[in-house]
Order: sequence, then structure tokens, then C-alpha cells
Amino acid sequence: MIHAVLIFNTSGVARLTKFYTPLHQSAQSVVQKIFSLVSTRPAGLCNFLDAPELEQFLGFKGDADERWRVVYRSYATLYFVFVVDGAESELGILDLIQVFVESLDRSFENVCELDLVFHFDEVHHILAEVIQGGLVLETNVEEIDLAIQEAARARKESFASANPLSLGSVGLTPRGANMKTPLGWLTGKLTGAGAR
Amino acid sequence: MATSMRGLTQFIADIRGARVKELEEKRINKEMANIRKKFKDGNLDGYQRKKYVAKIIFTYILGYKVDIGHMEAVNLIASPKYSEKQIGYLAVTLLMHENSDFLRLVVNSIRKDLDSNNEIDNCLALHAIANVGGSEMAEALVEDVHKLLISATSQSFVKKKAALTLLRLYRKHPEVIPAAEWALRLVSIMDDQDLGVVVCVTSLVMALAQDHLDAYAVCYTKAVDRLQRLVIEHEYSATYTYYKVPSPWLQVKLLRLLQYYPPTEDQTIRTILHQVLQTIMNNCAEPTRNVQHNNAQHAVLFEAIGLAIHLDTGSPLVSNAAVLLARFISSKETNVRYLGLDTLAHLAARADSLEPIKRHQNTIILSLRDKDISVRRRALDLLYSMCDIDNSELIVGELLRYLRVADYALREEMVLKIAILTEKYASSYKWYVDTILQLISTAGEHVGDEVWYRVVQIVTNTEDLQHYAAKVAFEHLKTPSTHESLVKVGGYILGEYGHLIANDPGYSPLEQFQLLHSKSQFCVAATRALLLSTYVKWVNVFPEIKPQLLNIFDRYRHVLDAELQQRACEYYTLASRPDEDDFLQNICEEMPPFPPRVSALLGSLNKKQGDTGDKRTWIHGGKEANLDRDATKRKTLNMNLTNDDNTSAPPSSTDDIISSLAGLNMTSTPTPSPANPLVSSSGDGSLHLSVAPNIDRWYEKLTYSGDGVLYEDVQIQIGLKSRYQGHIGQVAIYMGNKVDASLSSFTATVKVDDTEALSASFSKIPPNVIGPRSQSQQILQVECKKMFSTPPILTVSFLTGSHQTTSIRLPVVLTKFFEHVKLEAADFFERWKLIGNEREAQSIFPVNLTSSGQLDLNKYRAVISGHRLNVLDGIDPNPNNLVAAGVLHMSVEGKVGCLLRLEPNREAKLCRLTVRSTSGDVAKEVQKLIQKPIVAA
Repeated sequence: MIHAVLIFNTSGVARLTKFYTPLHQSAQSVVQKIFSLVSTRPAGLCNFLDAPELEQFLGFKGDADERWRVVYRSYATLYFVFVVDGAESELGILDLIQVFVESLDRSFENVCELDLVFHFDEVHHILAEVIQGGLVLETNVEEIDLAIQEAARARKESFASANPLSLGSVGLTPRGANMKTPLGWLTGKLTGAGAR
Repeated sequence: MATSMRGLTQFIADIRGARVKELEEKRINKEMANIRKKFKDGNLDGYQRKKYVAKIIFTYILGYKVDIGHMEAVNLIASPKYSEKQIGYLAVTLLMHENSDFLRLVVNSIRKDLDSNNEIDNCLALHAIANVGGSEMAEALVEDVHKLLISATSQSFVKKKAALTLLRLYRKHPEVIPAAEWALRLVSIMDDQDLGVVVCVTSLVMALAQDHLDAYAVCYTKAVDRLQRLVIEHEYSATYTYYKVPSPWLQVKLLRLLQYYPPTEDQTIRTILHQVLQTIMNNCAEPTRNVQHNNAQHAVLFEAIGLAIHLDTGSPLVSNAAVLLARFISSKETNVRYLGLDTLAHLAARADSLEPIKRHQNTIILSLRDKDISVRRRALDLLYSMCDIDNSELIVGELLRYLRVADYALREEMVLKIAILTEKYASSYKWYVDTILQLISTAGEHVGDEVWYRVVQIVTNTEDLQHYAAKVAFEHLKTPSTHESLVKVGGYILGEYGHLIANDPGYSPLEQFQLLHSKSQFCVAATRALLLSTYVKWVNVFPEIKPQLLNIFDRYRHVLDAELQQRACEYYTLASRPDEDDFLQNICEEMPPFPPRVSALLGSLNKKQGDTGDKRTWIHGGKEANLDRDATKRKTLNMNLTNDDNTSAPPSSTDDIISSLAGLNMTSTPTPSPANPLVSSSGDGSLHLSVAPNIDRWYEKLTYSGDGVLYEDVQIQIGLKSRYQGHIGQVAIYMGNKVDASLSSFTATVKVDDTEALSASFSKIPPNVIGPRSQSQQILQVECKKMFSTPPILTVSFLTGSHQTTSIRLPVVLTKFFEHVKLEAADFFERWKLIGNEREAQSIFPVNLTSSGQLDLNKYRAVISGHRLNVLDGIDPNPNNLVAAGVLHMSVEGKVGCLLRLEPNREAKLCRLTVRSTSGDVAKEVQKLIQKPIVAA
């Protein structure tokens, strides 16, 4: 099972935290702990990390072989981190991170860190279409995108019915109209070979 | 989304603009105060409420504590507007957890959304339950969730969510889900067209199957079938390929699911599975440039290797896999090295022979020095698993050497593993003591007390070792900085056995004392107390250093620590007694050996287990460790089964009482066999035989004829054609769909009660759809190994709007495996006598006469020859009597001859049937089978 999904940037600021298991300590301290584990690992190491250190945050996990494992991947300035247990395939989770990133990219068109800040709710909705309650819900980017658009339409309709004067400036626009995004990063570049 | 809430965007921008933490906090406090006020004033419209709750969520995400907004979130959920509902649900899933009191307030809104006709509302509700649902929600909502999952009108995206939600509820509160009862229905969804649904349902089935292996046994075939379609037949929708690999997640899940079951006995399924695994391995032969593609492919490959190991560690597949893995552990890709080592550890934990792994021992030992700690960890695990008596000295030596430079985080585990390996595979006691003391002096701070306790235990119990141990301990103590654990072991061992080495040069009592006492000042009170005990033992054996020892006791009488002080006082008094007193001597007798104990070390590696989470299919350590674990697991599983297994009726006795009373009680009529004689005792309440008078009639007819109808109702018809030769047979089963719609998720399984005696398997996996008004033919291969009396049961289930299940007996009975034998009268009687009446089965039963008042001799003859016995004419003087003979063929128990005599009597309307056979059981079974069609209804 997947116990947590985290996104934080290279300075350790969390951009998304989602826990599927009750925490024993504050979310911030978990993020800090994981950040310290992950950020000290130089590039070229593997994407998996045993993390017995997390027992104090997430509770003791079964016997010695059922350790908490951290599967992470870094994209430009962001780390995508999944905390899983022994029942998940490590590479499968790695693929899932890629699916999540591609889904974000679909919805935001060249997603960037600022999107995650200003559209935190949307990021959660997208995550909800990929993982539900700690289990893989859907892995097909088309399907995920479809579900997101469906929800966006429903939202728009209900919003429009409540605000007849709003002139359709609602719905899923990729970015705040007046928001400049200096940190644009190309997913094409990231999803290609060499991304870790 | 956020664009529609300008206030929120502004809020976020403000916070981002805050240069220092204090400004950010100030901004947030201001906002929260404002929101609190607005909430208090009330009278908010939906939009405002949504906006404020969104701000609260954002604040929460930033890591601030929020204690408002819960009620507003609850109100938002009940809003008819999707945009508000969505934010409400988001707040619930983020701000609340499963024990929140607020959740009680949302149960009704959630139920309303679950029952709503709007699917995206269903989804929101399901998602919320899957995130925060606890046992209370499970009780209230499980039925609604289940309905959404199985309803024919549910859309795929609803089904997916419902499946995972159900899984969550099962994990939280297993009692609310009648897992065995729902088994076939849930497994049938694994045939869904939509692979997304299949992934989710497989997750659900996997969790349920771990606790209800038998009830979910059908999923084995389904999983193999699906793998075959994905891997070999390439039958999947293109959108479900991920970098050219067909849904790697589904493949991984299915391969994992199969590892929870014991390897299948069914030859057909084995063959298919073998093909699937082989294909997966071949696919990985040439790695490509694309990282994602490689990842996906390897994800499947590693799981496939895991399954291959699980199925049979000796198979050629596993040898191939071992070669692949050997290549992987020296790969440039760190991920691949990591997984290669991990999978090799799986192999080592299961394999009968460690040879293929030992060939790469050097590479593995080198991996202990990999640049990545994750890889080093896996290497350590692997070395631990692959260690045996032959390579233990080498591996432990390497581990000890590596321990000096190992990461801090790794040391504790390493120490424990080294200690276990040393104890488990010690070739000599000397080596054991050397290694453990070496271990303690290298990594003392990581050595738990249990390690040095164990050394003391073993040294005390092994007399040959004591002299040596004392010397080694002394030598280790000589190093300038010694860890406290070493002082403790040294103190204990020298105290008990120091006198054994006292006469050797360099180990004199004074030297022992000086060495040990020089360490004392760096130790904590508990260790010093232990040393005091050592000294008092020495007073007893080393009178020459008594003054020094007394001096120390004297000094310690004035320390502040109460424990030390007390000991010192007591020991001082004890030691100051006159020399001729033997009190001290008696107290300081040598320690008696400890009672034999299980090492406490293993226990500290494997701690508690047992929740409803997915369990590992193997653990680190050798083959025995895994066998032990399997055994305990099975035990607990069986206990669970017997506990919740009062649903199935007690198996009714098939023993016919009448046969034992043959010839005595002419008036008793045999009780007609109960309509439902064969409730399987397997404990999964799902195998209730379908009951109808026709079914019995069809079945009975087919016991003595090869072809005919076995079952028919308004939807399906099942017919049989069979051919038998010797101990094997082929039954062609025709399953016809009588309606104008397809039967989807069609499943046909055959269950044999005693697989040792009879095997039955389909020659290929039955198709999972039968088109409208069409027929599917399946060949069932049967083989009789030993005598059996319970026929196999065919279970057919399918979906036509609702889920239908039919279980019927297959007319594969013992007499099918008879072959004719030709006997002359003399021969016959000689054998008849030879067998005698000990191995005879006899019964007397009433018969009906034909309409003309005659015996129905033709029918009797047909029944007997239909049961494949050779009717011999001209042997019995009475023309009405029938005599027959046959030989039963069994592949394991060999051939058994059988003779029969049927004596009908028209006047009495009775019939006597006598069967003699070289096996009493066979005689009884044949008598029962033949009597049944003849006896009067």
C-alpha cells in the first residue's frame, strides 16, 4: 500500500502532502525527515530507500522485512516522493510517479511549481484520480485526464448556475491569467530519457 | 479552479510575498481571525463558505494547525453544487481522520451522494470513504458501496472507486464484509472489459483472498487467463499500454496475487503460466534506451521471477532467472542492481540449493561497498539469506570487516544478523566465541544485551569452551578502548572461569584483576556492580589477591549509588569471614548450565505480524525460516477458517447403513440418497450443490452412460460426452447458452475432493464469454489414481445482469475406470470363492416390476454393463440372475478385480446384489453405484 505522497522542492518546502495512514507526529516533521533523507542522496543512486527512520512517524511496520520504503524521483526543482510498504513493487511505484507527473502536465499544460501552489485543490483532485486510499486507482493518463475534465465541467456548470454574471472565465485554466511563471520547466524534457 | 476565487488567489500570493516567516504568520493569523469572525456571524452563501474553507485548507497544507472549518466543510458536502461539494470533500479528506467526531455528521450526506444518480457525486463520496472511512462508516455504508461495485448500470470509473473503497472498509473492519459469500461475484469482475476496473478489483480480490484462500480460489484461473491475454495474446486496449508495456501495474498485481496461493496442481494452468513467465523473461532480453520502458518492463520481470521462484525453485525458468539476476547485480543502473539483489535474496530464501547464488558470492560481497546505501542494504539481506554452513565463516568474516566502515544506520541490524548467522552456522565453538567477541569489540555500542547474554549462556553450557573463552575475553580486554558490553562479558566469563587460565603465563590472578579493574572507572554503575560480583567470586578462587579485592569492597561501601553500596557491603562482610568458613565457597559455586533455550535473537528480527494489509510472500533468511513462517501462517489461517465457518452444513454421511445389514433385515428399505449429499467440506460456503429432482435423475443416468444432458435451466444447458480407457478419461463438456444475450464472466471450475485419488482438469482455460445462443466445448481430463467415492463438482458461474452460480456433480464415478474381463464359469466361481465374504458388499433392496408385472431384466443388464462391467452369460443357473466381472484401473493403486451377482426376485419384489472384490472398499462403492439406479423409488 502507498502510505504517503509528497512533493517538495529542492529547498524542502512541501508542495503537496497526502497521507493515507494516520501520523504519529506532525506532517511537517515527516516531510522534513524525508527531505533530509532524500536530498542528501546524490544523483545516480537508486530511486529506492529503506527508511526505518520513519517508524517514529508512521508507526512500527510488521517484521524486519516490512520496512517503510521511500520511492522518489526528482523532476527539475521538485522531488516526488511516495512512501510505501513491502507489498508494492518498487518499479511499479516509480512508473506511477511518472503517470502522476504526466497527468499533472496534461491538466496544467507544462506544469510548474507555481501551479502546484496556486492550484493546490486541483493537484489533490488529480492525485485522487490516480491513487485512492493508498491504492492505485487508475494508471491510464487518458482516463485520468477524462475524469479531471469531467469534474471541471461539473464544477463550471454548477458555478455558472450560481453566478450567472460570470462570463465563463471559470473552469480549468492552466494558470492564473495574470500570474507569470518564471520557473517554467518543460515536461517534455523531463519525461524523456535521462529523467530520474 | 482557484481563479474563480479571487480572494484565495490573493491570499496565496500574499503569503508567497511574505519575506520572512513572521510576516507569513501574521498574514495567516489575520486571515484566520477574519474567517472565524465570518463563520461566527453566519449567513454565508455557498461561494463564501467555499472560499473560506479553501483558504483554511491552504493554511493547513502550509503546516499550520487549523481548528475551524470542519462544520463548514460538512455543510459544503451537502450542497447541491458540485464546485462546493468538491471543496467540502477535499476539506473532509484533508482535515479529518478516521476517528474524527465530525465524520458522524457526514455519513448521511455521503450516503445520499452514494445513492445519487449523478456518477461524479458517487465518486466524491467513494473517494471520501476510501480516505477517512473507519469502522463506523464501514458498518453504515458497506452495502451501498458494494451495490455500486456490482450494479450492472455502474460506469467503469465508479466501479474502480467502489472496489478500492470496499477494500479500505475491509481493512478497517473486516467483519462487515461477507468475504466468502461475495467471492464469486467479486472475482467475476476480474473479467471486466476495462483494465482500470480490473486493476482495482484485483487489488480488492488480492486482499480478500489472502484471508480466504479457498473461497477465492477461482481468481487463480482468472489471473492466469488475464496474464495470458495480456502477455501472449496481446489482447488489451491500446490506451492501457505504458511505454509499450501492457498495463504493468495489472501484470504486477496478478503475478503477486498468484504468489499468495500454493503452486497450482492443474497441468493446463501450469503450462500456460510457464508460457507467460517465459515470454516475460524473453521480452527483457534486449534492454532499450527508454528509461520508462525499461522500468515498466523490469517491474513486471522482477515480479515474474518472484512467481517463478514461488512455483518451483528447481524449474528451468528459475535457472534462467538466476542467470538474468546475476547480470543485473553488476548492472550500471543502480535500480537494477538494487532489485537484482532483492530478488536474489528471494531466491536464496526459497531455493533448495544455494549453488547458483554462491557462484556470484564475490560480486555480492562487493555490493556491500556499493556507493548507494539502499544497494548495500539489499546486499546485506542477501548475504544473510544465502549463508549456510559452508560459507558462513567467509560471509561472517566479510560482514565483520565491513561492519567497521558500515553506515551508522546499518550497524545495529548488521550486528544482529552477524550474531544470528554465527550462532546458526557455527562450525566450531571456538569460532563462535572468536566471532562474537570480535563483534562486540568492533561495534559494541550496537550490540544489544541479548547478544552477550547468549554468549554467556553458550559458554556456561559448553564445558570445553570455558578455558578458551576466558583467554579470548582476556585478550580482547587488553585493547586500550573497550566497549562496555565487552567489559560485561569479560567480567562474567573471567569471574566464572578465570581460575581455569590462572596458571598459564600472562593470565595470573593479579593480571586478570588489574586488567579488568582498569576498565571499571569508565563504566556505568550497572557494569561496576557486575564487576563487584566478579571480584567476590575471585575472593573464593584467588586467595592471593584477596587484600586488593577487600580494599575495593571497602572503598565501594561509601559510594552514593545504592545498588553498588549494598553489594559492596555484603561482599565485604562475606569476604571478611574467617578462612575456614565454607560459606563463601558455597555461594560462589560454579554456575549450573542454563536450561536449553531458543535464541532470543531471531525473535528480535521478526516481530509482530498480522493485520489485514498485504503480507509479504517471503522473508529474509534461509529456507527453513520460510517454511516455519508458512506453517504458522497456515495454522492461524486454519484457525480463522474454523472460527467463521459455521455456514456450511455438516457433510452428510454417505455410508449406506443397509449394506451392513444385508440378508438380515428384509423389511427395511434403503433411504433414498439425500438430494444434497455432497456439501464440500472445504469451508467456503459457496459450493452448495444446485438441487432439483431433474438434476439427480440426469446425474444418475450419466453414471452408467457416457453421453447425455447433465443440467439444464432457462439460461444454460450442459451436456456431456465421455470416453474412458484404463485409468484415464476424457469428458467433453458442452456448455450452451440458451438466451439471446452473451453470458459474460463465464467461469467453469472443477473441484475434486481428494486430489490424491482423482485428478480432473480442463485441457485449456474455459472462455470467459459464451455468445448468445451458442455453445462452448471444454475437454476435461480425468485420471483415477486411487479408489475414490466422491465425484468431482463442476461449478459454473456467469453474469447475465445478475450473477448466477450452479454447482453440480460430474458423473465421474469409480466404475468409469473399469475394463471388461472375460471369465468362464469355472474361473468365475473359483475367484468368487477365493475372495470370500470378508471383502464382500451385499445388499437387499426392493425393486419395481414393469407394467406387465415382470422383472425389468433389460434395465438391470443395461445398468451393469453401463457401469462397465462385463455381463457374463451362462454362468448362473438361474436365467434371471446376472453375473458380471470387471477390472478397475488406477494409476497409483494398480488394478483391482471385481465380481458381481444380481439376484432379482419377482415374487418378493426384492433384489439381492452381491459384489466381491479384492478390495473391500471398491466392492462397497460398486455395490452402492449399481444399486442406486435399480432400487425402487
